[in-house]
Amino acid sequence: MNIKINHIAKMEGHTGFMASVLNGDVKSAKLEVQEGIRLIEGVLIGREYKDMSLIAQRICGICPVVHNLTSIKALENAMGVTVTSETKKLRALLEYAQFIHSHALHLFFLSLADFLDMDNDIELINKYPEEAKKAIRIREYGMEIVKVVGGRVVHPLTNEVGGFKKAPDREALKKLVQDSDEILKIALELGEVFRGIKIPDFSRETEYVCLDKKGEYAIYDGDVISNKGLKIPVEKFEANFKELQKQNEVIKRVEHDGKSYMIGAIARVNNNRAKLREKAAEYLRSLGWSFPDYNPFHNILAQMVEVIHSVEESRRIMLELLNSNLDEVVTKEYAIREGVGVAAVEAPRGTLYYHVEVDAKGYIKNVNIITPTAQFLSNLEDDIAVYIPQILKLSDKEKEKKLRAFIRAYDPCISCAVH
Amino acid sequence: MVIKNKPETKKLKVVKKAASGKQRVAIISLTSCEGCQFVLLDLGARFLALTELIELVDFRLIEDMEDDGGMLDLVLVEGNPVTKENEKTLLEARKRAKVLVALGNCAAMGGIPEMKNYHEGVSTIKHVYKYLQGINNPAIRELDNFVKVDFVFPGCPINGEEFLAYIPELLKGNIPVIPDRPVCVECRKAGNRCLLLDKTPCFGPMILGGCGAVCPSSRSQCQGCRGLRPTGNVKAMRTMLKTMMSDEQFQNMTEIFGLRDDLEERERKDRSLRITN
Repeated sequence: MNIKINHIAKMEGHTGFMASVLNGDVKSAKLEVQEGIRLIEGVLIGREYKDMSLIAQRICGICPVVHNLTSIKALENAMGVTVTSETKKLRALLEYAQFIHSHALHLFFLSLADFLDMDNDIELINKYPEEAKKAIRIREYGMEIVKVVGGRVVHPLTNEVGGFKKAPDREALKKLVQDSDEILKIALELGEVFRGIKIPDFSRETEYVCLDKKGEYAIYDGDVISNKGLKIPVEKFEANFKELQKQNEVIKRVEHDGKSYMIGAIARVNNNRAKLREKAAEYLRSLGWSFPDYNPFHNILAQMVEVIHSVEESRRIMLELLNSNLDEVVTKEYAIREGVGVAAVEAPRGTLYYHVEVDAKGYIKNVNIITPTAQFLSNLEDDIAVYIPQILKLSDKEKEKKLRAFIRAYDPCISCAVH
Repeated sequence: MVIKNKPETKKLKVVKKAASGKQRVAIISLTSCEGCQFVLLDLGARFLALTELIELVDFRLIEDMEDDGGMLDLVLVEGNPVTKENEKTLLEARKRAKVLVALGNCAAMGGIPEMKNYHEGVSTIKHVYKYLQGINNPAIRELDNFVKVDFVFPGCPINGEEFLAYIPELLKGNIPVIPDRPVCVECRKAGNRCLLLDKTPCFGPMILGGCGAVCPSSRSQCQGCRGLRPTGNVKAMRTMLKTMMSDEQFQNMTEIFGLRDDLEERERKDRSLRITN
């Protein structure tokens, strides 16, 4: 028996799904990617380093912020450029804002309908107008932060090697701090709604990988850790994790010790939950999970935890920035130097890695970009292979629905994965 | 593609309304970052209000329903037709649609994906994919190489405000014309110091405005994502920019948003005009 889904909507990029099952055994379960290749890494070669973030962030229209941050950090590492602590804070703020709006989108508009047995958001919004308003309000708050700091929501403009082209407006930041109480309240209310939805039972042990930093829930910086005892600096990532290019596949999968692994909100919450801010930690406790929690459907609740955490954390960062000299974020002079740089930042969907080599004149010699979806794709397929036998007795239509919901719970981004 | 020089509003034939009496609209996405779709979604309540007024036949970012395959009053197309599947989707959409609109820089001008056309094909793909077998790598071509495009929402990404301003006309079957003004008009209005005064190469004067000068307002140079103005003086602009950047730098910058082929076409036209005159 074959299970085939031609196109999975409500996610970033184009993909279908194909599985073959023989006498109850899953022989194969694969996402069939329908995205065209853009060769972003290839076209960067030979260009000036300043073009890199501008081009690379256009890999993805939902998470351009993290491509912007990671590419710039990799270039700074390559050329030995240091930035002020204010700049680092402002970048972390951008990433938290990205978490808020990306997660709010996925939680409410891409995933929720799956658990309420609906297939379209207009219907969802009509049935749950109050909740929709709340989700939109949270999403708009995250977008507003990106706009104030980055100059634009889709494809932000201000961040560059060495700092920011322009400091954010102090009054606008104050207003965002004022609004944060209301947003936190709404986020907690939305959290109640999500706690009430019925999540399918499923569990499969895997390795959870994410960044880790002493004393904080690592987002912008840190070492690579896993719940299986891994702890390495980001520079060692490429030596420890293997990127595979198979024939006919436009996504280069990644393995750790020959196995698939999981990243993203569910991995971070599992590994770093002790470092969540107060309300987020309280909300997580209210979910009553026991750890490690290996239900991939819980990824959406983990995203809810992170929305709450991100609102708390952005408020804290904005207050710190308001108490400092904001002009310190403006780019200082630096020297262009030859070098190799790597960097990692937590994207909403998991850790994003950039490797870049620059020559003495600042031209790019080599680039490698390892995206979250490329990393968790094999884990997703391994999960589905275990999940299919549980739903074999359902009608074809129901099976397809369940599989769509499963794939969407991972929040894959195919544009990123192919690039 | 080149934005047409004829500022003339053309009325298309009136179409039969859908059963609901609402205009039938599809938003389809080919290969791209999908950022232009997100600009629409980012309009939040204002976008949802718009969806109340129309019948949204296909918008896969927010719905998972089967498209009924019927006629469309308006189709918005984002991205490039890179794969065979993309191409089929596009041709199919054109057949069904009264009005077909390019949504954003990739669809209109080739955008970031078109950059690979300027790189040596085999070495670029080999750099990314060691095993070439089965991976299709066609040159990028804009929508108007495949189908007739009735209107363009320019920009990388599109400007949401501009979208809301022109969509009512499009829904009536009218083709709006974006005023032929440079980015500089809005840039000055925003109170920005001109980047060219600081010798930062900015394409603003030859580029079609309507973006709110969002880049220069963040101290970023205009790199032309909205395309050439119909009447911009490209030659004078080129002469001025020569004092700020090398020819190689200029060419590289024009490749980012697919401006290079449009500039070459404009230069050819200017040359032939001179000859016939």
